[in-house]
Amino acid sequence: MNDGVQTDSASVDIAMADIGRLEDVVDREALRDVCRSFFELFSLSVRVFSASGALLADVHEDQPIHAYLRQFARGRQALAQTVAEVTKADVRGRAPQRRVELTGAVYDIVPLDYQGRAVGRIVIGPYLPAEVREVPRQLLKLDPNIDPERVRDLLAQMPRVRKSTAERIVAHLTGILKLLLFSSHRAHLTSEMHLASVRENYRELAEKNAKLQAAYDRLKELDRLKSNFLATVSHELRTPLTSIIGYSEMLESGIAGELNAEQLEFVQTIHAKGDQLLALITSLLDLSKLEQGVMSIRSETIDPRALVDDIARTFAPAARKKGIELRTRVDEELPPIEGDPIRLKQVLSNLAENALKFTPAGGQVFFEAHAADFEEESDTEMGAVFFSSPRPAVAFVVRDTGIGMPAAELDKIFDAFYQVDGSSTREHGGTGLGLSIVKRLVDAHGGRIEVSSEIGKGTTFRVLIPSPE
Amino acid sequence: MQIDFKSRELTVKLVYYGPALSGKTTNLQAIHRLVSNETAGRLMTLETRDDRTLFFDLLPLTFNSGGGIQVRFKLFTVPGQVIHNATRRLVLQGADGTAFIADSQTSETRANREAFLNMQQNLRDNGIEPETHPVVIQFNKRDLPNIRSDAELDRMATRSKEPIYKAVALRGEGVIDTFLGLTDLTWRRLEAKHSLQEKFGLDPDEFLRDVRRRLGLGDGGTP
Ligand SMILES: Nc1nc2c(ncn2[C@@H]2O[C@H](COP(=O)(O)OP(=O)(O)OP(=O)(O)O)[C@@H](O)[C@H]2O)c(=O)[nH]1
Ligand SMILES: [Mg+2]
Repeated sequence: MNDGVQTDSASVDIAMADIGRLEDVVDREALRDVCRSFFELFSLSVRVFSASGALLADVHEDQPIHAYLRQFARGRQALAQTVAEVTKADVRGRAPQRRVELTGAVYDIVPLDYQGRAVGRIVIGPYLPAEVREVPRQLLKLDPNIDPERVRDLLAQMPRVRKSTAERIVAHLTGILKLLLFSSHRAHLTSEMHLASVRENYRELAEKNAKLQAAYDRLKELDRLKSNFLATVSHELRTPLTSIIGYSEMLESGIAGELNAEQLEFVQTIHAKGDQLLALITSLLDLSKLEQGVMSIRSETIDPRALVDDIARTFAPAARKKGIELRTRVDEELPPIEGDPIRLKQVLSNLAENALKFTPAGGQVFFEAHAADFEEESDTEMGAVFFSSPRPAVAFVVRDTGIGMPAAELDKIFDAFYQVDGSSTREHGGTGLGLSIVKRLVDAHGGRIEVSSEIGKGTTFRVLIPSPE
Repeated sequence: MQIDFKSRELTVKLVYYGPALSGKTTNLQAIHRLVSNETAGRLMTLETRDDRTLFFDLLPLTFNSGGGIQVRFKLFTVPGQVIHNATRRLVLQGADGTAFIADSQTSETRANREAFLNMQQNLRDNGIEPETHPVVIQFNKRDLPNIRSDAELDRMATRSKEPIYKAVALRGEGVIDTFLGLTDLTWRRLEAKHSLQEKFGLDPDEFLRDVRRRLGLGDGGTP
């Protein structure tokens, strides 16, 4: 890369697909052949220079007039000067230029541009424009010893071309050289791309392998930790807890002798709190599984109606006991959805439990399933036109006419251990883990959970499960 | 963008991205057909099999702007077929702007989406931040049945961060508009990044007007 070039990317060569130097791309043999065939057709000398001034092709015939004139000092000088001018002429991005030597013969200097960049130049000549008939007077006056007859004879041997013909010939040659350049460039790029894509594919594979290995190692480690953790928790925590619950149950049942009312109440409290603790531990286990991504979500066809009916049946006794009316509604036409029936039931049960818990006697709780649109929430706003096109979905709705929640709390209820206020835990029980697990389960289904609520009016949870694409 | 101070030359790289068969190559062919030979060079097609791009197509456009600055645009297409991802990533290297050519047919919705995500990933892998990278979206093949409706696209366009164009590339419709939209977005971003006006005296509005004129459009009209 030369000094003046500033680039954004490292490997500009392929990135911009530019040819570097003409001499690196073009096949010199082919270039010379083209020039030679021109020479043979039109008897015109052709030279091709690269942008850096390297002579890449040179097909010319020595002109006898030049040999004659070089015998004279001023002739030598004048000819050399024209040659120097021709080689140095700056034609970058400009129109063709012409230089006239002392014989009246001309050189045409034509810039060679490729893809908007000057890559070199073609020099045609010397030739005598057919329009020039006279021998230039200053040529004859160049030296007292010049023989005008001789000059006339030798000049006649110089190729003669009409101006318009010369222009056509030059245009044609330029066209052919550009074509030659184009196919060389293409061949060059093709082989570079072959190499580069093989390299890139290899790199990608190697990277993927490394990642897979790392992921595998991590999973193995995680698996070990997880089994350890699960084993510890279930064994070290659950075993004594089961004993506590078991013994308090036995005490309650009077196996160890009659208890007085106060003793019975204490034991029942121990029993209830033990159950609560067990539920909490189970929830924590679920949560940790979800967070590690180790909870498996099965993918089966879900029958929304069966699911809603199942929930309604499960909660009917509790609702009756509390004096709450249960209602279900399921749309006739629902898009097909897939998921894990056990987990979805866990989601809806959790919401149903809450609904019943926070709805006073005489209230209503609705279990519904509707057809709905699912709009993906992408983390960037890029490409919204591709991502926010709605997908069909089923919306499971659990709605109650209970005490409701303040709007400010709605964002937080899915956080682990969050409860609207501490008092509700005391009043209504629960660990505050339920909704965070619900949300993670819904996420694991590629779905979304939404909540709306009004104090004193009730709360609505909406679980959207999108149709598979 | 490549800046060569010595020869006062700017080279801008624009990439036509999108799912397989969405019409990327057809876009370049149409531009080549519609733009004068003075501005557009020969269209180079590198390796195809059954008309599917394997490496890329390349169309060079050159604008001699005032002040003796040579501005070169290089338009590339990527191979859309999923398996050619390594090549796609290579071609996207150093891109200054991207035209995402989507297939309007509803059956291609998923392919469009995946190609778009793939573009974002490959931009990132090339060290280009997708969020600030100039992108326009073209919905091509508007002539076919079973496409996303005009109404839907118009509605989406109001919410879309990327300018949205509709096209029938096969007939050249919407192709120049898409290109100009991309040029506009890209040039303004490059101006902000490289202060081209300050360095080269290139006024962005004037330059973009010049580009429109060279593409045979008036100062603001459509073809
Ligand atoms: N009907 C219709 N067909 C189109 C249109 N544009 C392109 N096509 C056709 O779609 C097919 C694929 O077009 P290409 O331009 O080769 O697609 P591409 O995006 O370059 O495909 P890859 O190189 O495989 O990535 C061709 O048969 C085109 O003729 C259009 O506007 N309308
Ligand atoms: Mg193609």
